[in-house]
Amino acid sequence: MEKRASEWRLLVEDPWLVSLVTWLPPLLFVMIYAIFSQGMARNLPVGVVDLDHSTLSRALMRYYDASPTIALARNYPDALAGMTAMRGGEIYGLLIIPADAEKNALLGCPPSIEAFYNSQFLLIGRQVKTALLQAHATALAKIETLKHLGSQAPVMGQALARAVPVATQATPLFNSSTNYTQFLVSAAIPALWQIFIVMTTVLSMATELRRDGLADWLKDRPVRGLVEKLTPYGLLFWLHGIMFLVTMVFVLGWPLHGSLVFLIFCQLITVMACQCAGALIFFLSRDAARGLGFAAAYCAPGLAFMGVTFPSTDMTVLARVWRSLMPISHYMDIQIAQANYGAAQVLSLPQVGYLLLFILPGLAACILGARISRTPSGSGAAV
Amino acid sequence: MSLFQLFKAELGAVFTNIALLLTLFGGVLFYSVLYPLPYVTQVPREQQVVVVNLDDSQFARRLVRMVDATAQVQIHSQASSLAQAEERMIEKKLAGILVVPENFYRDLLLGRRPSLAFAGDASYFLVFGTVLEGMSAAGTTLAAEIKVTQSLLSGQALALAQAQHHAINLGLHALFNETQGYVNYVIPAVFVLILHQTLIMGMGILGGSENEQQKEGKTVHWQTASPAALLLARTLIFIIIYTLLSLYYYGPAYAYYDIPRLAAMGDLALLNLVFLLPVSFLGICLGAVLPRRELATLIVLLSSMPLVFACGFVWPISAIPGPINTLMQLIPAVPAIKAFILLNQMGADFRQIFPQVLHLTILTAGYGLSAFLLLTRRMNRFAL
Repeated sequence: MEKRASEWRLLVEDPWLVSLVTWLPPLLFVMIYAIFSQGMARNLPVGVVDLDHSTLSRALMRYYDASPTIALARNYPDALAGMTAMRGGEIYGLLIIPADAEKNALLGCPPSIEAFYNSQFLLIGRQVKTALLQAHATALAKIETLKHLGSQAPVMGQALARAVPVATQATPLFNSSTNYTQFLVSAAIPALWQIFIVMTTVLSMATELRRDGLADWLKDRPVRGLVEKLTPYGLLFWLHGIMFLVTMVFVLGWPLHGSLVFLIFCQLITVMACQCAGALIFFLSRDAARGLGFAAAYCAPGLAFMGVTFPSTDMTVLARVWRSLMPISHYMDIQIAQANYGAAQVLSLPQVGYLLLFILPGLAACILGARISRTPSGSGAAV
Repeated sequence: MSLFQLFKAELGAVFTNIALLLTLFGGVLFYSVLYPLPYVTQVPREQQVVVVNLDDSQFARRLVRMVDATAQVQIHSQASSLAQAEERMIEKKLAGILVVPENFYRDLLLGRRPSLAFAGDASYFLVFGTVLEGMSAAGTTLAAEIKVTQSLLSGQALALAQAQHHAINLGLHALFNETQGYVNYVIPAVFVLILHQTLIMGMGILGGSENEQQKEGKTVHWQTASPAALLLARTLIFIIIYTLLSLYYYGPAYAYYDIPRLAAMGDLALLNLVFLLPVSFLGICLGAVLPRRELATLIVLLSSMPLVFACGFVWPISAIPGPINTLMQLIPAVPAIKAFILLNQMGADFRQIFPQVLHLTILTAGYGLSAFLLLTRRMNRFAL
């Protein structure tokens, strides 16, 4: 009991460690949330080159502008000026309405409007593209319905069916408002959480280097020394995880169709898995700066490998191997299955199994720790 | 101590610090392989979908085959009811459900405008978008076929009916990243960020190591040099190292991943210099302040994710809350990422990135002055 009390004291004495386990994680979590809090992009600037200057072209521009995602911000005299603005990043999209568009439409020779969107900014570009497609479909349906009403089909419903014979209805499941906040934040925060846990594990063990060396810390009972070291941090990070989950469900009102208790239990084994990985990284480097460097290489791209932004089924084998080496990827699978699908807990058992496998790096860390504890005092400290 | 001696001593300090060398060379090389790794397939394809065909007319079956034929979607299996489909989707982790409603063909013939329903898993945005794209491509083709048939029935010539099935066409073109590949989207921004972060880490480790040595009472080689000379020597060494590393990134690495390189060599070199200066100074500031060398790595790593999200290539700047955006302007990576993407990926003229260059220059002045003052302070404290 005496030893554990000293572990808490060690933690309190180091202001950096205190920040890492108290205010810093919530602050960064809130910041990530704040960045995406708007949920959907609105009024993304799009330019127009109107070469027709007709009633039709003006009507079309009104329809496009009505889309909440885009705003026709600027007019350009010719395509070249518009393209230059695209290159300069001033606008995310460009519409070119050709000369004689109205005349050709009336003559029954359909004009073609050329629309460009910036796909270098993929996420933004996709939104502009979808908005343009939807706005165009709406505009067309209106124009064609009016045409049919005038001639062949005197009833509104029939005229609409002639204009748009098959309707398509897209239903986003599990994220019903296709909200970017929910999509990205619910994945980015766990990724950041993993970084915090691994980094803090390495740093907390490195404090022993600055005190009396590793051998002094681990002498006699290396495993117990390790467990006593990691327990307070593990509990604090588990608390952060629970706070994130509770805020997500009860404050932001994001769906949780499965079991909260099961998820919280999975968070605990995720924390322990991350700590095992962090401990192994530390013992392999036995130096704070190198250890943190390795930890950074290991978990910094956690979000990219998680498979939320880019599907894991489309990753190469090597990428999937690296993905499975990170505890947070397995946790994320469980979180999505529980929170979004409300899937049976049995279906998440494989992921729980993978998380439990992280006992292996934990054991490796214990073995390395035991070896250090046998070396004479002082020589365990790397210079 | 002469400037040349100082330069030599600095070189020695850099190339004997293992943690620093690992971060600089190891980090930059390792990340150039690791970051693109999840995205090397570029575009998700053949997402698996389960079909509920409640109509089962020949026409409906043809529609299902058309969906299967698109590059984006692959039909995994048929389910007999919506409930069964949903269950299978969760169990097998499929991307979505396509529902052909009852009496689809009859309603179509009667002019009742039946609707095709797609339900996709929107917890994965890219997958959802891909499935939707494939399904609506098939749907649009089908609708066009129907319209042409209707026009033919009402007595139009085939050629005319085919040309006129829409009153106005919309030609959509992706610009700059034509294939909408993920590598081309993420890597140009992330590589700039990696250079930025590792440079700051390296400077921080160097400064932190010296602070540790000072605390232990060891003598540090630059105690007799002037702060200005130290600033000059250190910045010069790091800029030379990072120019070489940038050459690797913007050259062979970009070529390997087939990322466009539209910038002229001179423009890119100039921008790179304007970018490396404020970053070096910021790193020196951090190094002068931090008591231990590992703390720079910690701060840099924790700041990476907010930086990626707030620098404008993932999420539009206009949608980011003002205070966060203002704070981010203090980080050189934010204007630099935009400038590099505009110049190298989108082919902007150097004049068009002038606002970003100016921004970086102001940061250079600010961080340069701060670095000078902090080094002076540290040296005075050491002298006492």
